Amino acid sequence: MRDNIEFWASLVLAVVVAFVVAILVPGDPDKKVVWAIEYGALVITFLFGFMVLAAIASGKIDISGLLEEKGSTSGGASMSRFQLLIFTFVVAISLLLIVVSKSDFPKVVPAGILTLLGISATTYAVSKGIQSGGSDDGSDGDGGGPPPPGGTVTHTTVVASPEAGGAVTHTTVVNSSTNAG
Amino acid sequence: MPNVAQFAAWEGIILVSGLCGIVLWKLMTGGISLKCLLYGDARVVKGGGRKSYFSAGRAQMLMTTVVSAGYFLLQVIEDPTQFPDIPTPFLIALGGSSAIYLGGKAQALYLGRLRDLAGLLDRRGQ
Repeated sequence: MRDNIEFWASLVLAVVVAFVVAILVPGDPDKKVVWAIEYGALVITFLFGFMVLAAIASGKIDISGLLEEKGSTSGGASMSRFQLLIFTFVVAISLLLIVVSKSDFPKVVPAGILTLLGISATTYAVSKGIQSGGSDDGSDGDGGGPPPPGGTVTHTTVVASPEAGGAVTHTTVVNSSTNAG
Repeated sequence: MPNVAQFAAWEGIILVSGLCGIVLWKLMTGGISLKCLLYGDARVVKGGGRKSYFSAGRAQMLMTTVVSAGYFLLQVIEDPTQFPDIPTPFLIALGGSSAIYLGGKAQALYLGRLRDLAGLLDRRGQ
């Protein structure tokens, strides 16, 4: 609980806001219940979002590899990821501008915008497929390579009892060759 | 009681613009690396393995992306009441750019660079 102090603080604050709305605001009790739930949900959503943003800004959530091309020899940035990021942000910022100026969500999203995002997302997916298919070891850089030819990979997971601390130990043994039979 | 939809809209604005701001800030300060953005991997035709090279396909895709994003943003700034209509030729150009990038990437990774392939063919022809 001590590690998640922000989480519990958000939860308590949302409940307090809901109670304040339900008790102190004058009006019809049916409407007050709806308002209390709405404002409580709004507060908790905002605070959870803010917690995530604060963690990203402080480095607690690491996004340094956001544009990294997995399985690349140079370990450089991926052009398709960069394009997807740019287009996503451009459409998000546009939506914000429209909401601010109209005080309402747009009624229709033109097919052109969906096509734009579709092209970008498809490019990213195909690029990832090409990159992982072209990797020398057949892996996509996420550590999920195939077992060696003729060899075996043994995964062992040991879970200690709760009295012993409940530690979980994973062991992976790779044998380069095995004697069949 | 104030309208809850207004609050929700402002909440979304703060969170999304905050996320955009943090990501842009990290891009500017190097927190998110753009190293080797224009460099791709190519199969070494003779000897095997892979090497890094400057990719023209990536360069043209970067230009297309920046121009498209700029055009789109300018359209929205000009008329911020609705999403702009994107002309079909614009989408075709974007799709073509992506196809060139992907084709170049697949060719470099699976066959090697055209320059190396041409050199190999020349040596075999002699």
